[in-house]
Amino acid sequence: MFFFKKKEKKKESEAPSVNKEELIAQAEGRIKELEGKEGNDRVSLLNEIGSLFTQAEETDQAIRYYEESLEICKQHGKASTDLMKLYNKKRQQAAEAKDDEKVKEYMDKVQSLMQMSKDMIRGNV
Amino acid sequence: MQILNFIIQNILTQAAVVIGLIACLGLALQKKSIGAIVSGTMKTILGFLVLSAGSSVIQASLAIFGDLFNKAFGLKGLVASIEGINGQAMTDLGLGSEIAITLAGIFIVNIVLARVTKFKYIFLTGQALLWESTLCVVFAYFCGLRGVPLILVGSIVGGAFATLMPAFAQPIMRQITGSDDIALGHFCTFGYMFTALISKITGNKSKSTEDINLPKSLEFLQDTYLSVMVVMVPFYLIVAIAAGPETCAQYCGDTNYIVYMFLQALQFVTGLYVLMSGVRLLLAELVPAFQGISMKLVPDSKPALDCPVLFPYAPNAVILGFIFTTIGSIIGMFLTPMLGLPMILPGVMSNFFAGGTAGIFANQVGGRRGVVIGCIAHGIFIMILPALLSPMLGQIGFQNMTCTDVDTVVTGFFFMIIKSITGIF
Repeated sequence: MFFFKKKEKKKESEAPSVNKEELIAQAEGRIKELEGKEGNDRVSLLNEIGSLFTQAEETDQAIRYYEESLEICKQHGKASTDLMKLYNKKRQQAAEAKDDEKVKEYMDKVQSLMQMSKDMIRGNV
Repeated sequence: MQILNFIIQNILTQAAVVIGLIACLGLALQKKSIGAIVSGTMKTILGFLVLSAGSSVIQASLAIFGDLFNKAFGLKGLVASIEGINGQAMTDLGLGSEIAITLAGIFIVNIVLARVTKFKYIFLTGQALLWESTLCVVFAYFCGLRGVPLILVGSIVGGAFATLMPAFAQPIMRQITGSDDIALGHFCTFGYMFTALISKITGNKSKSTEDINLPKSLEFLQDTYLSVMVVMVPFYLIVAIAAGPETCAQYCGDTNYIVYMFLQALQFVTGLYVLMSGVRLLLAELVPAFQGISMKLVPDSKPALDCPVLFPYAPNAVILGFIFTTIGSIIGMFLTPMLGLPMILPGVMSNFFAGGTAGIFANQVGGRRGVVIGCIAHGIFIMILPALLSPMLGQIGFQNMTCTDVDTVVTGFFFMIIKSITGIF
């Protein structure tokens, strides 16, 4: 029974296979809208693009837009929580490829992100 | 032969050198340049000596505080400071070498367990591992172990805690993060799971803390040492006033007793500042070496990261968790003497990190009400557990301090249970 349940669960988690091309197309559409946008509008658009690329499993692109978002406005929320997972994914890929420098690069990014969230709660940002 | 004897008797018995050699090994394994190995080794040795200096300052200040507290109130008052425990164990108790080698042993056991078992957690919070290593060595020593058996047992127990504590918290971590990629590496897990249990029983998950408007940050915690000072100065002054000028005279001489105790409170903060600078220097080379090696050896590992990794998920819960854990710890402070235990004085920074994270756990399973009730219970819990351990710590030689991170307290209890069981046979 237990094992059957587990298998069912796995199927469920695999189920939401959204069309990757569609997500990328949506993200590219949003990228075009970035031009001329500043402040909070730009941040929300960047977060939206980051989220679309995350869903499309385009890790490098997602990281790029989320990082830009946090550079403009350091805030808790989806940008930092998604970034943490994306950095970890890149760290894991680097470890599998035995690329020590990349492992270190992404571990350092994870540490900086944690420092940022600590500083934000303590009002240092 | 004479040279070898000289090296063994005069160099390898020095904790600072042993710690330096471990860092040297870590750097060499990472194939660093000769220059980086030499500078890293020297910095690690320097870190140990800075830590020792800070520890002496803390202990001198706490000895006066502890004595006057006893005379003023007729009971023992202990400051909750895992940093102070570590400092005293590494220097005065002469366990520095054992703690450093056990720290390296914990790294190894953690990697082995993550490779061969289904628990793929690699514990990456360096300071927390140093505290765990300290408690493992201190209690293994208290159980009568010495030399290699002490290091082996300490490493196995510490390594098992480093692997299993993230696994213990992972069911709630999965709910908070929505994935199984990241784990929590902070030795307060028993407190978090206790909070989650209370919150689940008493709370209402549907009303989250994140739907209310709260200040975005706790600005009075901007500077760690200033916040410690804000808490310690009143404690020292209350003790001075309660003890009175005559009792204080044996320490303060011609100086006014209030001024003297105010400065002693600042001495405590100074000691903590120096000690923590030493800890940072000490771990600056060891932890990245461990991270690099472990990630290479267990590529499919789940990194167990320090508690701020959770703050972005529920920042309001962090603030409320800190507030209600502090309320609980003040209740706990007055409760422990009623139970015949020493009075534990809460630490502001441990309340912030442990309380804030407990708030996130509580909110996840029990919403706002769960945070209020769960975190008050958490505050009491993290006062009572160290108070229960304090008689044993006192027997070992820690007179005016006790632990903060509850998993390290549980480690102490674990050793005491093993000691009792083996004593029966």
